[in-house]
Amino acid sequence: MARVTADPAPAWISVADIHDWIGQLGDADASQRAAASELLCRAGTAAATAAVPLVRACADDNDQVREWAAAALEDLGPPPDDSIPQLVELVSGSHPLAAYWAVTLLGRSGQKAGVATAVLAACLDSECDLSVAQRAAWALGKIGPAAAAGRAALEKAAAAADPRLARLAREALDVIGP
Amino acid sequence: MAAALLPLPVRSRSAAGALRALLAALACAVPAAAQQPAVGGPVAKPWDAVLVASFNIQVFGESKMSKPQVVDVLARVVRNFDIVAIQEVRAKSDDIVPSFVRAVNADGSRYNYVIGPREGRTSSKEQYAFIYDTNRIEVDRSSVGVVPDPQGRLHRPPMHARFRTRIVPVEMAFTFWLVDIHTDPDEVPQELDALTGVFQAMQTARPDEDDVILLGDLNAGPPEFSAFRRIPGITWAVSGVTTNTRRTKTYDNLLFTQPATREYLGRSGVLDLQATFGLPLEHALEVSDHNPVWGAFYPAEVRQQTLPPMAGQLPVTR
Repeated sequence: MARVTADPAPAWISVADIHDWIGQLGDADASQRAAASELLCRAGTAAATAAVPLVRACADDNDQVREWAAAALEDLGPPPDDSIPQLVELVSGSHPLAAYWAVTLLGRSGQKAGVATAVLAACLDSECDLSVAQRAAWALGKIGPAAAAGRAALEKAAAAADPRLARLAREALDVIGP
Repeated sequence: MAAALLPLPVRSRSAAGALRALLAALACAVPAAAQQPAVGGPVAKPWDAVLVASFNIQVFGESKMSKPQVVDVLARVVRNFDIVAIQEVRAKSDDIVPSFVRAVNADGSRYNYVIGPREGRTSSKEQYAFIYDTNRIEVDRSSVGVVPDPQGRLHRPPMHARFRTRIVPVEMAFTFWLVDIHTDPDEVPQELDALTGVFQAMQTARPDEDDVILLGDLNAGPPEFSAFRRIPGITWAVSGVTTNTRRTKTYDNLLFTQPATREYLGRSGVLDLQATFGLPLEHALEVSDHNPVWGAFYPAEVRQQTLPPMAGQLPVTR
């Protein structure tokens, strides 16, 4: 599980605000999207319900939107359980930063993200972006025994030339067990 | 023990008093502007301490620099300290830190900076920077670099630089490494373990320097510092107080070893953005989700003697 624990929502942020900012992430104006991304970042763990829109925002063509979205996700903590299916879909998206954060949030969900095992194991393939592959190995370890179906892919990754990928794969195998 | 460039000239029971008297005399050499009140000119700093701070300025980039009220608070924060280790410079532009230092110096201060390369495993990169008061501190630019991390154990390998105080004669000046770090919140235990090795490597990086101060956003507080306890004499400046702007977590700190860094004066704090600048949480979070943390160090190398209590003024803190 992620280390980040939920802070109480600041008094100045309401559920309606979060909802509005999520909507604003889809604005045609990049400056509006960037502002929404920044506000969600400032909301901290209170923006957990924005997990999926923030991951999508990591694929935005505006760098300010992406930077604030990534910063928001870094401190967001575990995503809501009902976002897991959408995060699984986002792992396979074409943008590496969005995939990286989808994988990260799945890892933070721990064993609840067992359904993501196949898509995470597929990330360990050498065709995948290295940062995503490394994070996928980490996430499978966080899921633990529920990710047993990913053993074969992890065993292959444990022999990878990249030392970080190999180490994370070995650590995941240790957690998943035989 | 500090690897002093030269031994202090005094060793007796009165050594501390003698050194203090010398420093008091040397304070006269500090530019007059530096001794004026904070309003309307550079912040007056203590003559018997250098203040080293760490500040994670969350997503420090174009957006923050476009908000004058945010830049004003950030500049006022920096002017309290002799060196500030910055984390989370995140910008496509290379002009963020230079522009900010110009804003800091707008009151007549004389700060300069060194900045590291963009780091991070994804397309979202961060830079570290040190901003320092050139009236009181100098940097050995040949010492600036990034800790090698061939095994990929650190998301953003720390930036290091060696500094020297300028408010005492050069042969007495306190010299030290600063190692600036922002850990990955998803791999904190692993990164703290790796940082233990980094700290020990820095202790032996130069035969003439064993003062190492590791500082930054560790995403962890002292209860999670078990890995660091492998370092003999390790201690930290901030304990039992929150360091994030929401006042819920202790994430930021300065770590050093007491046998080596006797210059630590036992004074440290958290500069609370809300309390110091009278900002509601909503506005304080516009500045950063972290408060700056700081520690006070004697400006001269110290060997054996007990340091006198500080007389100089310290930042408003908690």
